[in-house]
Amino acid sequence: MRRRPGIGGLQTAAAARDQYRLLGENVAKLRTDLMKEQLATFRSQLEEFARKHKTGVQIVEICLSTRPLNGGLIDLQELCKLLRQKRKHDREAVSEDDCLRAISKLKTLGSGFEVISAGKKKLVRSVPTELKKDHNEILELAQAQGYVTVDEVERRLSWTHGRAIDALDTLLDEGLAMIDDGHSDGKRRYWFPCVSSISSFGADS
Amino acid sequence: MQKLGDFKLPHFFNYPPYFTLQPVRETREKQVQLWKDLILDYCRTQKIFIIGLEEEFPLFSNPVIERTLSHEAREAFFSALVSEGRAEWLDKGHRKCLILWHRIQDWAGIILNFVKDNGFEDSVMTVEEIRSGIESRGTELHGIDRTILMRALKILEQKGKLAIFKGTSADDEGVKFSV
Repeated sequence: MRRRPGIGGLQTAAAARDQYRLLGENVAKLRTDLMKEQLATFRSQLEEFARKHKTGVQIVEICLSTRPLNGGLIDLQELCKLLRQKRKHDREAVSEDDCLRAISKLKTLGSGFEVISAGKKKLVRSVPTELKKDHNEILELAQAQGYVTVDEVERRLSWTHGRAIDALDTLLDEGLAMIDDGHSDGKRRYWFPCVSSISSFGADS
Repeated sequence: MQKLGDFKLPHFFNYPPYFTLQPVRETREKQVQLWKDLILDYCRTQKIFIIGLEEEFPLFSNPVIERTLSHEAREAFFSALVSEGRAEWLDKGHRKCLILWHRIQDWAGIILNFVKDNGFEDSVMTVEEIRSGIESRGTELHGIDRTILMRALKILEQKGKLAIFKGTSADDEGVKFSV
């Protein structure tokens, strides 16, 4: 736009400013519109995801809410039972296989969910703690009565006292075990909430 | 679900480790929270105001699983309630605990509602009438611990809602409402 001297020139400059301002406003509006559209798309994708992965989302919720009670390890059957309770208004029943499928989907999302086997049981892990073989063996042993004693671990697994204590202390620290000093025989027991069906603590079913 | 009379006991009450004070902090925090809620719930439904830590109290033992709370555990749970303002120690030795399943301020509110519900805005009553009179029946005020009642009344007195005075007989104090 060529500058012209005099009043005509001033008017042209004013007109040019107006045009630039309008253009600027349009660009801002375009940006806002685009952002709104992106958010709307994202939101509907999220809702779609939640619908498709409803089971997965519910599993995450259950694992998170029971974590303070079981340290992040829950028996698969217990999980399914709690899932059924959560969905009691849902016509679709949930089988163990449905649960396992949903969990493997969660796993591919990199959420740290994993199904591990300990003896006869399948346990769903929702915390990043890696369970070492020693810990796994103790969990297997604990399934008989829901607890183990240090003696038992030493005897049945043929471990040294140190090895048994180490493993049990780690499980205790991870919140996977709880101590019980109340038995009349005076022996400390290590209980494992994840192998008993008591994950429904605190939220009375 | 196990019951203590009418009261439904929560699941954790049947799990032995909950009767031992847990060493791991996160686990213990959860344990303390569960026990605090249980104690308050039980006391509210059974209208219990004072608990002796060294006495037999139904929540301290579960004969079904043969477990009893150690003194250390009891002290931990009640101390937690005290820290939260839901209980007070009645003695330095921490042997007796006053349970505030309603906080004192909440009791004050309940008294005000009681006054309004019964049209006592300008009335005079004895303290004993408030807690055992006919109008108190069926309300939470019925049978309220006297210490708690006096504390709540004093709060209301400070707010100018009533005046406490000594009665004619040596027995009871009276309250003149000005709600």
